[in-house]
Amino acid sequence: MIAFTDIVGMDLAKKALMLLAVDSELGGVVIPSAVGSGKSTIARAFAHILPEGTPFVELPLNVTEDRLIGGVDLEATLATGMRVVQHGVLSKANGGVLYVDSISLLDSSAVSHIMDAISRGEVLVEREGLSEVHPAKFMLVGTYDPSDGEVRMGLLDRIGIIVPFTAQNDYRARKKIVNTVLGKRDEEDTRDELNMLTGFIKAAREQLPHVSISNEQIQALIQTAISLGVEGNRVDIFTVRAALASAALAQRSDVEEEDMKLAIKLVLIPRATRMPEREAQAEEMPPQEAPPQEETEEEEDENSRADTPDADAEEEQKDTPDMIEELMMDAVEMELPDNILNISLASKKKATTGSRGEALNNKRGRFVRAQPGEMRSGKVALIPTLISAAPWQEARRRDKKMAGKSNTALIISKDDVKIKRFRDKSGTLFIFIVDASGSMALNRMRQAKGAVASLLQNAYVHRDQVAMISFRGKQAKVLLPPSQSVDRAKRELDVLPTGGGTPLASALYLGWETAKQARSKGITQVMFVLITDGRGNIGLQAAFDPDAEKVSKEVLEKEIEALSLSIQADGIAAIVVDTQMNYLSRGEAPKLAQKLGGRYFYLPNAKAEQIVEAALNF
Amino acid sequence: MTQTETADKKTAAKKTPAAKAKAGATVTSVPEPKKAAASAAKKKSGLAFPFTAIVGQEEMKLSLILNIIDPRIGGVLVMGHRGTGKSTTVRALAEVLPLIERVKDDTYNRTVDQYVEAEEAKKGHKPIDPASVKTEKIPVPVVDLPLGATEDRVCGTIDIEQALTSGVKAFEPGLLAQANRGFLYIDEVNLLDDHLVDVLLDVAASGKNVVEREGISIRHPARFVLVGSGNPEEGELRPQLLDRFGLHARIITILDVAKRVDIVKRRREFDDDPDAFMKKYHRDQLKLQHKIQQAKDILSEVTMTDAVLTDIAKLCMNLGIDGHRGELTITRTAHAHAAFMGDKEVTMKHVREIAGLCLRHRLRKDPLETLDAGEKIERELAKVLGEAEAV
Repeated sequence: MIAFTDIVGMDLAKKALMLLAVDSELGGVVIPSAVGSGKSTIARAFAHILPEGTPFVELPLNVTEDRLIGGVDLEATLATGMRVVQHGVLSKANGGVLYVDSISLLDSSAVSHIMDAISRGEVLVEREGLSEVHPAKFMLVGTYDPSDGEVRMGLLDRIGIIVPFTAQNDYRARKKIVNTVLGKRDEEDTRDELNMLTGFIKAAREQLPHVSISNEQIQALIQTAISLGVEGNRVDIFTVRAALASAALAQRSDVEEEDMKLAIKLVLIPRATRMPEREAQAEEMPPQEAPPQEETEEEEDENSRADTPDADAEEEQKDTPDMIEELMMDAVEMELPDNILNISLASKKKATTGSRGEALNNKRGRFVRAQPGEMRSGKVALIPTLISAAPWQEARRRDKKMAGKSNTALIISKDDVKIKRFRDKSGTLFIFIVDASGSMALNRMRQAKGAVASLLQNAYVHRDQVAMISFRGKQAKVLLPPSQSVDRAKRELDVLPTGGGTPLASALYLGWETAKQARSKGITQVMFVLITDGRGNIGLQAAFDPDAEKVSKEVLEKEIEALSLSIQADGIAAIVVDTQMNYLSRGEAPKLAQKLGGRYFYLPNAKAEQIVEAALNF
Repeated sequence: MTQTETADKKTAAKKTPAAKAKAGATVTSVPEPKKAAASAAKKKSGLAFPFTAIVGQEEMKLSLILNIIDPRIGGVLVMGHRGTGKSTTVRALAEVLPLIERVKDDTYNRTVDQYVEAEEAKKGHKPIDPASVKTEKIPVPVVDLPLGATEDRVCGTIDIEQALTSGVKAFEPGLLAQANRGFLYIDEVNLLDDHLVDVLLDVAASGKNVVEREGISIRHPARFVLVGSGNPEEGELRPQLLDRFGLHARIITILDVAKRVDIVKRRREFDDDPDAFMKKYHRDQLKLQHKIQQAKDILSEVTMTDAVLTDIAKLCMNLGIDGHRGELTITRTAHAHAAFMGDKEVTMKHVREIAGLCLRHRLRKDPLETLDAGEKIERELAKVLGEAEAV
């Protein structure tokens, strides 16, 4: 066993878990961390600093709906002829910890149920004839690898603490330290330290009700949340609670600046949608869409802002950009590919093709739930069918006997039959990769925007998703992660800056990464819709290293070729829409299409509908 | 009846099916002490944050209240930012609802007329004297439909316990029956499974729920005010379902610091001592409940001139809204709004305040439209009112 106190590094994650141990109302902690960093170790070690007997339930990723929420216990039901309830994982975690490793890979319906349980503090079981309420108040601890994709925002909103993802989290190197340290330590030391920590947390828990926070401090925290563009008001409560818990850990009765800083770091910064304005950055920053608000509110807002004499708030605001910058730099470093040009072409796996379908279907995907249905309309779910037949056996046997018919061992009627429903995100993910460089950019963006919006309008029916990547300057950026939301797509597109160089290679690479992430979440078909003239002039390295030297044309071409072939080999379909005026075109776009094994469309004045049509008919 | 009593009663009522299921089972997978803890936790969760203590989000609060005053408005869809108190507000609604009269212990919450009609329609049933039917008053039911609900629990199924013990194949009503004449609330409605959406659309259109199982056929009234909430970024709502909602309230993050401080303080106060907090808002709750009841009482007396009706029609026409549901919803909602304000005549002032709620989701979607739906409605309203120059 690796004890909590034995873990070297990941200080912020440890601190976060300690705050949670002090105040369970913080809801939970999410820890992003790289593969093989042993992120689950720290979460499991967390169990030991909680009061004895606190439940610690680990949620398997492939959990079915009935295991999660609860349902009928087949064995007991057959034995008794009565419906017997089996509690789900969520209610088993009541009063304790629900731990999810790789939480970003969790099925979206499971995420929805967890969200629901958190907001109610209980699980409503309205299934298979059961109508029960099971308490399910738990702390959620989730760990994940950001390269697998992000955790759904709705879930993060209900969790108090999100540990910022920094190079610090990657403790591959520190693992060694852990091992060396472990070798030298004797168990007694470990036990003593753990006991001390547990006592410490117990004392903090007792201190917590006696900690107070001033109005000005609350105001300053809220002000920070607003200036960071954090969505929602629930976050305020988490921020205040985190500050209080931090003060309690220090056995203080008042919240101090360091508590507030910690709260900002752990609660607000990971949710920031913008950096607080700073003059130097103002030009570079994309125009922020001001959230719609009433004028009166805005006025009041301004007033109260001016009225806040709090120096802390000012200082926090000055601090935060640096913090964010630091964190972002770390994140970028982490994503640096080791040897991008040596991509293996050996793994030529074609994505399975299939028709675009609905989210839940009767044929394929992951089994989610059983539902009444005709036996011929899909795969029969044996156990759910037995569950629904089980309580009736005695009565049916009696009926049959009375009717003078011979008895079979098990009497199953048509009504009992349950059909398996599968979740299969077989919809296509359209990744729009839009050239935002140069003078044509504005025009292209408008087309792309229209095309994305129209595709999304149909997305509900086809279960398609749309992602959007733009490239300009030094590197490509994911503007919109895979989404079905029209609102979100529009909002992201509205603030897109244009102009600068053409980092095509970076865009292809990012598109490929996005495709891979989506695959790991069950998307089977991916299509690139490239809107570009195909004339890349910025090398891949520039995306990760701003000081990278300008690369030769040959290298650029080699990069694009290697990436294109890999993308094609990965079974990703592509179309290239060339919007460049004829007399400017030098034939790069058709070449790109060829390398990608996709089709080339020359639509210099393409309307959004034409692009959609091309993509859908491909 | 005091608020706390209402709350207790609700908890008790909600518990019965669960208790029933437990009592029937001879084997239980839950050990004793846990069960006690369960009921304690249950009681605590029964105390919802008081409606009148919710800061801001007036649009959502108003649309809920108007639906209580006139359930025919057709429900409300609340969409917006995360963590802005959507579900808190809807769940708080129960405490300010008026009472309705139903046939005593009727699981479908039927009125005497509905009950008599249904029972007499049964084969070989003798006529019933309506005066002989016992009634009781209950708070308007608010039924929560969780995302993981299965179809049999939503629509109802055969009561196995009863079938086994007494040999009678009785119908065990589902959530739709419980929601009759009340509110049916679906949080994260945009994530609801397609087959449940189908069921809801079907029932919402007909006002009836039909179940056939184990050789029995049941048909019961299921008229409810559909309340849905969600975050548009999590996914889109199916257009048919969107169309079902009478009103569409939008909710955004409050950016006023003073208000937000207030929210934090009230929340902490409530968490520290829910009972004391409830007591503090008891008077406000009663006042609101009374005001809603009064509005309900005068609703039938509220009138609207043809001039106002013409303006409403013009507005809908100018906005290019298909069908007549837009006009109908505005008219009903404006009546309810006038009643809530204590006015007996609908004026364009009432219309103006609710037009956005009624029409926002009915505008044709244009992917390239940059103008916010609310602004568009506001602009057309101004034109209709001849205030175009002023704006």
